[in-house]
Amino acid sequence: MTRRISKYKRFVMMNPIIQFFKFIYLSIKVLIVVAGGHGGTRQLEK
Amino acid sequence: MSKIVILGAGISGHVAASHLRRKLDKSHEVVVVSPNSNYQWIPSNIWVGIGRMKSKEILFPLAPLYKKKGIGFKQAKVTSFYPEGDSEIDKPFVMVEYVSETMRGETEKITYDYLINATGPKLNFEATEGLNPGTNKAYSVCTYTHADHAWQGLSALIEEMKQGKEARIVIGTGHAKATCQGAAFEYILNVEQELRRQKVRDKAKITWISNEYQLGDFGMDGMLLSYGSNIMKSHEMVEMVFEDRGIDWILGAGVNKVEDGLTHYETLNGEQNTIAHDFAMLIPSFSGHGFKAFDKNNQDITEKLFKGFMIVDADYTPRPYEEWTVQDWPETYQNPSYKNIFAPGIAFAPPHSISKPRKSSKGTEIFPAPPRTGMPSGITAKLVADNIIDSIKQQKESLHHKGSMGNMGAACIASAGFGMTKGSGISITTYPIVPDYKKYPDTMGRKLGKTFGEIGLAGHWLKLALHYAFIYKAKMKPFWYLIPE
Repeated sequence: MTRRISKYKRFVMMNPIIQFFKFIYLSIKVLIVVAGGHGGTRQLEK
Repeated sequence: MSKIVILGAGISGHVAASHLRRKLDKSHEVVVVSPNSNYQWIPSNIWVGIGRMKSKEILFPLAPLYKKKGIGFKQAKVTSFYPEGDSEIDKPFVMVEYVSETMRGETEKITYDYLINATGPKLNFEATEGLNPGTNKAYSVCTYTHADHAWQGLSALIEEMKQGKEARIVIGTGHAKATCQGAAFEYILNVEQELRRQKVRDKAKITWISNEYQLGDFGMDGMLLSYGSNIMKSHEMVEMVFEDRGIDWILGAGVNKVEDGLTHYETLNGEQNTIAHDFAMLIPSFSGHGFKAFDKNNQDITEKLFKGFMIVDADYTPRPYEEWTVQDWPETYQNPSYKNIFAPGIAFAPPHSISKPRKSSKGTEIFPAPPRTGMPSGITAKLVADNIIDSIKQQKESLHHKGSMGNMGAACIASAGFGMTKGSGISITTYPIVPDYKKYPDTMGRKLGKTFGEIGLAGHWLKLALHYAFIYKAKMKPFWYLIPE
């Protein structure tokens, strides 16, 4: 069954104060994933 | 002294050119060849397509910037490759044809020591009968001119809806093997929000049509992700969003023909169906540009360089889905036959798709081609530039920098509506892009902590912040290189 977005969740999603802190958190988290390095896979396999 | 020629000035070509110019002294020549006079930040096209951004806000002219930075620029399109030279010229070269107003039609042989093919994809509209942006009430947002055109079509429809017209809007993929579902996903949510803003949402039925087997596949075989305190599959997240926005969906659909207000498609069970539309935005399939390559004796050697897109250090051995591994994917984007040619971004031929291949009962392949968005395009372009820089400085081949899509994270900050207080975004990160089922067998091939989703206003702010940050970076303003790809 498809999940639904609850009223509380929607409040959290659209509240600018909560979302401001979420913005900082997201920016850091995305930066960690993106700038967290990359490399090959074939040597790892060996 | 070396001459590096870069074909294409999209995300990949521009990133490579800017890093090469910054790190190599002026005795080395960096030349960009592109038929486009402007740089465009493609991820913001969806906002042009709903009229919330002007196309001039997402582009800038390349020639003045390249002149200022000491990068050569030729507004031309490449027509053929001569990686060994020819009977007249010993050095490798590419044949180009100018498209600028002053030199239109003139040709030139441009020699190189290193060649970066960053020509991206050809938007293959002709692969789907009747799919031509702006005709048959079907549009595209793949370029800023297409997006401008889409907004003209949508805004005219909105005016009719304000007069009481009931409308059907269809958005998704326009070919059985199209990719870039993410852009269509962003656009459908932005259109939905724009209709609400214009107070005509109740007049529209909006349908998502896609070659994906499940929602949230995005050409990456879907993903398991953490969402707040929950762990859910991407199809559950997208279903939740579509359900919330009142958007229907048709999956496993290979669109094969578009007529005036009609989209025809084949389903995985072999049925041929039709859906009517008053406005459609359908992403075309991508293909290679059909370049030819010749050796010194003018013999055709196209198969050494191209397999649709350019051949690189991937493992192209045909194998069934169950035997695919991340090791199949390229690491250095170097052509195995000609070691001074590289193809980062969308220009390289992928070894296979990422999503599971599926055929309809009639034998038509209906599944997404692998996506290569802005972020991996930028990362692969930078590592190619870094390897060339090292090779030039060390005067021997250096391939120290590697970046397989099987060992690289990606962030997809999908806009779900424009507005500083009413906007929304769906932020999804994935690590790795190509699932590694050996390393992460219990989490659908992805690392859970680095594969997460978030929905909310912050996602819109983040997408907007990235828009300004990447245009700043592309304009090579002070300390641009500190902003990661």
